[in-house]
Amino acid sequence: MSNTSPLIQIDNLSARIRNEDQTLFPLQGVSFSIERNVRMALVGESGSGKSLTASAILGMLPTGSQITDGTIIMNERNLALISEKEFQKIRGKEISIVFQNPKASLNPVRTVGSQIAEVLRVHERINQKQSHDKAIQLLESLGLPDPKKRARDYPHQYSGGMAQRAALAMAMACQPSLLIADEPTSGLDATLQQQVLDLLTQQVQHQKSSLLLITHDISVVGATCEQVAVMYGGRIMEVGPTELILRRPMNPYTEKLIESFSRSQDGKMTSIPGTVRPPTTELKGCPFADRCHMANKQCHTHLPELAPKGDRLIACINV
Amino acid sequence: MRILAYIGQRLVLLIVALLGVSIITFVVTRVLPGNPAYLIVGVQADYSTVAAVIEKLGLDKPIPEQYFLYMKQLFAGDLGSSWRTGNPVTYDLKSRWPATIELATIAMLLAISWAIPLGLVSALKKRSITDRLAKILSGLGVSIPEFWLATLLILVFFAIFHIAPAPIGRISRASPPDLITGMYLIDSILTGNMTALKASAKQIILPAVTLAFVIGAPLLRVTRAFMNEVLESQYIRSARAMGIPKQSLIFRHALPNVLLPVTTMIAVLYGYLLGGTVLVEYVFAWPGMGKYAIDSINSSDYAPVMAVVLLSALSYLIIYLLTDLLHFFIDPRTR
Repeated sequence: MSNTSPLIQIDNLSARIRNEDQTLFPLQGVSFSIERNVRMALVGESGSGKSLTASAILGMLPTGSQITDGTIIMNERNLALISEKEFQKIRGKEISIVFQNPKASLNPVRTVGSQIAEVLRVHERINQKQSHDKAIQLLESLGLPDPKKRARDYPHQYSGGMAQRAALAMAMACQPSLLIADEPTSGLDATLQQQVLDLLTQQVQHQKSSLLLITHDISVVGATCEQVAVMYGGRIMEVGPTELILRRPMNPYTEKLIESFSRSQDGKMTSIPGTVRPPTTELKGCPFADRCHMANKQCHTHLPELAPKGDRLIACINV
Repeated sequence: MRILAYIGQRLVLLIVALLGVSIITFVVTRVLPGNPAYLIVGVQADYSTVAAVIEKLGLDKPIPEQYFLYMKQLFAGDLGSSWRTGNPVTYDLKSRWPATIELATIAMLLAISWAIPLGLVSALKKRSITDRLAKILSGLGVSIPEFWLATLLILVFFAIFHIAPAPIGRISRASPPDLITGMYLIDSILTGNMTALKASAKQIILPAVTLAFVIGAPLLRVTRAFMNEVLESQYIRSARAMGIPKQSLIFRHALPNVLLPVTTMIAVLYGYLLGGTVLVEYVFAWPGMGKYAIDSINSSDYAPVMAVVLLSALSYLIIYLLTDLLHFFIDPRTR
């Protein structure tokens, strides 16, 4: 296996959710790859399919949903096809995740240390004592004061910031090659946001892992991620180096998304006209066509494919 | 140390609650129509005889004074006497309370052993056959009246198939074991009396099954609902995302969290059973507290009614205290 191949390559990934009364098509041909030792952001409005993409990578799609097409290649395996049992060995070991609400991510009736230690014992050949010692070390390396005592504490005794560190310690315990962070900064104030992003960056850099940062807030991407993928309507609209895309967005959707997060001179905030397209049907044309100021007839009838344009990939027939 | 302070505080509350219960029960029994004096002397007695009995029972005194006298007597360990049975209430309860405890405990254990596993499995395997079976059984359990189910079981297992013995109390075709605890099953085992053990076990099966089915239904529903909730929680999702195997997810991560609401439900149901299960005791001629209480109420027999209500309240309060202590150990948030 050559080291230049991407860590994980997602190709034409499609998923379907079957409820009692309707069928949804939340992912309709998602393609992007994450390189080794790179921090990448997956941005888009809520309902664009970004969290579901993360669930698919972890093999944890909600009940009633399934992958209908496409591949997720990691280390020469297709994660779209492997069994739950095989996935158990990958989760927490090769791919890990931290969620939005770290306190709710920890089991309330077990000590934080024992929860981290269990993850270590599941994936590594170490005994009870060693795993507990290592859990304390991990908490310490994440800057938790008095880690020995803190490991014996329960989640309700932790502050939000400490819980964030504990959840990250658990996720990084087995040195995964990919860490997914699902909206880790939503609901935090600006200073805390920056702390969390710094902590994530520091951890993945230290362990030479890749980061997939899932967020609706494109403004937090710039300082953290080298690559960005913009998602809408279950498809990738534009992928490329963060600096390039933030400074010179080419896809009209990316442009509008960036605009909606930057205040104009008079302090007003703009929003993208129209509402997010519900994924109730399979796409015939561009998912953004209904809201796009540049849309023409063809946009409604032709599904734009991701195509290279300079250093980036873009899915739009008008550029 | 915190736990000792907690227990102390709860014991004080327990006494206050019992005092409250005693006042309410005392006043209600006295205010309700029906004067035991008339029942004791019979309809033919003349006025002076009735008045004499009323005076002898102390019923001519104001209610607060009667209550005060009753409490004085109670603190001396005397629960009064029943005019209906002619015995001191303590003597009557000596056989009836263990009878109720025995039936309630067997029924509770049976209910736990069918309702909790079924509730867990139906939450783990939604829409499976087990899940559907659980729904049907819990639906029947909450809607079937227990006296009807008791009668049905007697009809099928005693009258038609002759598998079960006649519903005539705690033991038949054998003499009771030497009494130690008053619970026949335990006393038979303690004295090594296999004949009595077999005979009393046969008698207790049908009433216990009836109660276990009826109280198992809400227990199943609670178990199923909370297991569902926990399985969908963020911390179970997180643990799964860390590669924790399914077995550990269920037993080490989910189950301890489900134990809290389930033990609370068990406490509520057990407390209810210990208060006497009147209808089932009636159908099976089970000489327990429920039947004793109803018979006493019907004949305005004040002392036994007071005693039964106080004992039920006491069992409830003790069970709740024990449950809270159990939660103290299961749930770190209460510490």
